[in-house]
Amino acid sequence: MSIRRLPVYILLDTSGSMRGEPIHSVNVGLQAMLSALRQDPYALESVHFSIITFDVQARVYLPLTPLDQVRFADIDVPQGGATFMGAALKLLIECVDRDVRKSTVNTKGDWRPLVFLMTDGSPSDLYAFREAIPELKNRNFASILACAAGPKARQQHLLELTDRVVTMDTMDAAAFSGFFKWVSASVAVGSTSAGVSGALSPPPPPEVQLVL
Amino acid sequence: MAKIVKCQTLAGQAIEYVDEIIGSGAMKDVYFSPDKSYVVALYKARPDSQARERLKSITTTYWDRLFNEPGGDYWKNLFCWPEGIIERNGLIGIVAPAYPKHFFFEHGSRNNDILAIKGKEKEGKWFAAANLRNRFMDRRELGDWLNHLRMCVLLARAVKKMHMMGLAHSDLSYKNVLVDPTQGHACVIDIDGLVVPGKYPPDVVGTPDFIAPEVVMTSHLSRDDRGRKLPRRETDQHALAALIYMYLLYRHPLRGGKVHDVDDEQRDEALGMGEKALFIEHPSDMSNRIRVEDARPTELPWADTSQIPYTITGPYLSPLFLQAFVGGLHDPGLRPSANDWETALVKTVDLVQPCQNSACPQKWYVFDNSIKPRCPFCGTLHKGKLPVLNLYSSRKEGNFRPDNHRLMVWTGQSLFLWHVNSRIAPNEKLTSDQKKRVGYFVFHHDAWWLVNERLPDLIDVSTKTPIPIGGRMELTDGLQFLLAKGDGGRLVVVQMVEG
Repeated sequence: MSIRRLPVYILLDTSGSMRGEPIHSVNVGLQAMLSALRQDPYALESVHFSIITFDVQARVYLPLTPLDQVRFADIDVPQGGATFMGAALKLLIECVDRDVRKSTVNTKGDWRPLVFLMTDGSPSDLYAFREAIPELKNRNFASILACAAGPKARQQHLLELTDRVVTMDTMDAAAFSGFFKWVSASVAVGSTSAGVSGALSPPPPPEVQLVL
Repeated sequence: MAKIVKCQTLAGQAIEYVDEIIGSGAMKDVYFSPDKSYVVALYKARPDSQARERLKSITTTYWDRLFNEPGGDYWKNLFCWPEGIIERNGLIGIVAPAYPKHFFFEHGSRNNDILAIKGKEKEGKWFAAANLRNRFMDRRELGDWLNHLRMCVLLARAVKKMHMMGLAHSDLSYKNVLVDPTQGHACVIDIDGLVVPGKYPPDVVGTPDFIAPEVVMTSHLSRDDRGRKLPRRETDQHALAALIYMYLLYRHPLRGGKVHDVDDEQRDEALGMGEKALFIEHPSDMSNRIRVEDARPTELPWADTSQIPYTITGPYLSPLFLQAFVGGLHDPGLRPSANDWETALVKTVDLVQPCQNSACPQKWYVFDNSIKPRCPFCGTLHKGKLPVLNLYSSRKEGNFRPDNHRLMVWTGQSLFLWHVNSRIAPNEKLTSDQKKRVGYFVFHHDAWWLVNERLPDLIDVSTKTPIPIGGRMELTDGLQFLLAKGDGGRLVVVQMVEG
């Protein structure tokens, strides 16, 4: 049948500062989010996930996979190192150009992808980061949402990327779980009642502050 | 242990709830009463004065009109209707009955409930999409096709009742209707957004898949624009037709292969559900047929409309689907009413026969009016004698006209008063005495028999032989018998199909 896929890309900072509790919380939060989404029949029919991690290099940790088939081992964090967020954006562009199906006269293409980026620092490759942004804006994303986690995260760079930036003051399990719940609600919003004046977007969880 | 909050409804009824959220939606957080017999749902944002007025009407005026009439209890199974309003620490909430147990998954998904949905609410979407049914659902949750028909009867009846009360639901969708295919139950929930035409306008435009084309087409206009179309009775009728189609055929009536905009999938979606909406089984315009080659294997055979066309739903429902998705799709006034659906569904239940293949997942199908009846779901041909009873009713003494109503005979099939008299309809108005069986059918020594339990007037018209209560009569081709004398009394003409 003509079920459109909803591609969801999650870009995760795995630089050294994420070692310890932060990355554990991210792993737990990700798995909880996947379990919650699998209980949503609408998401199960359409959502496809991909995870890109970035530290001293950017890699595709999970290629675009249907929600019910997503399996991955806990994400590890290397000792120390840089935060190549620009490289991650370039990799995202490659993936999107390759994975996302366009409509043809005869077949329905995918929904516009959703992107969630989480970092606890700022791009070490600022030049590449700034170079990637206009390229990224040429692609048609439904929304790009960036999360600045913890005290060292810099919002101002993220605000160059998207106007939807949230901050998390702490980097504990509750904060990450709140963040992934929000991601999950944003992904599932397409199946819920739409308000008379535009679609309802779920409010961010209490642990996350929206930067406007 | 979470603490128990005690409060009062505005009407003064004492309420208690456990201060621990059991569920949370976009608008409300839900709490259980200590005995779990009712729930309290607190609005996250305080409803405005108009919404509070509406809640008041729903919990008082409309509650009374629904439940405080003879037989009012019947509706308690079909609606989860808010019973009271509470106000606490500036928050507003409603009190509503808890959902009955059969609306929660008993087994959940396959492979030892891999999705971990056991105990969760049975949201209709799980049962309305072929891929979800075939890949994920535990078979014990799926029920059979007859129970899907029964679910649709109850759903149509509930919507009919709301419309008769002058209300519109405004957001009918598989999220707002709980279903139970294992026993054939359905219950309308989320009633706090009801539309009272001219009084309380809708807050929502509906849920994707169920929003009527005229609402989708005008959703870019401002709320006050005169061209803007908002949910009302006619849009409920569209949503109801879509729900019934999906619960019987496990696919969406408008989601076919046609691409309206190659560059912008959101515009494509808006056109496909709105201005350019086209039935996937339109009799002459084939351009939106599902492309079977694009279907996932788990969507078959349902994605193949040539193998499972809507016409397998039989002679009463098929014309309504055409009326809803061809004539009435862009002309709201032409859409079938909820009452039309209820009547057709009830008659279709009588036209259903069991599939002789014990492994058939649907187990029941509508008699296809052929001399070689065949289950459209598994392809099994019917073997043996198959009596079909054609019902006629008297308008005046001795004059019988066809009712366009047939009853299929199978072992264990029962005869009820609504078969006996055309003035009696099998709906919420039946008394408990009227619900009792009056006769049954049995296959014995290579012949079909009707056993008379409570039919004082039963008579074989061909031979003028009365059949006493406790007696039996063999069904043969061409046999005519009278079930009841007087106004509305039914005459039966037997047709014997030899499969």
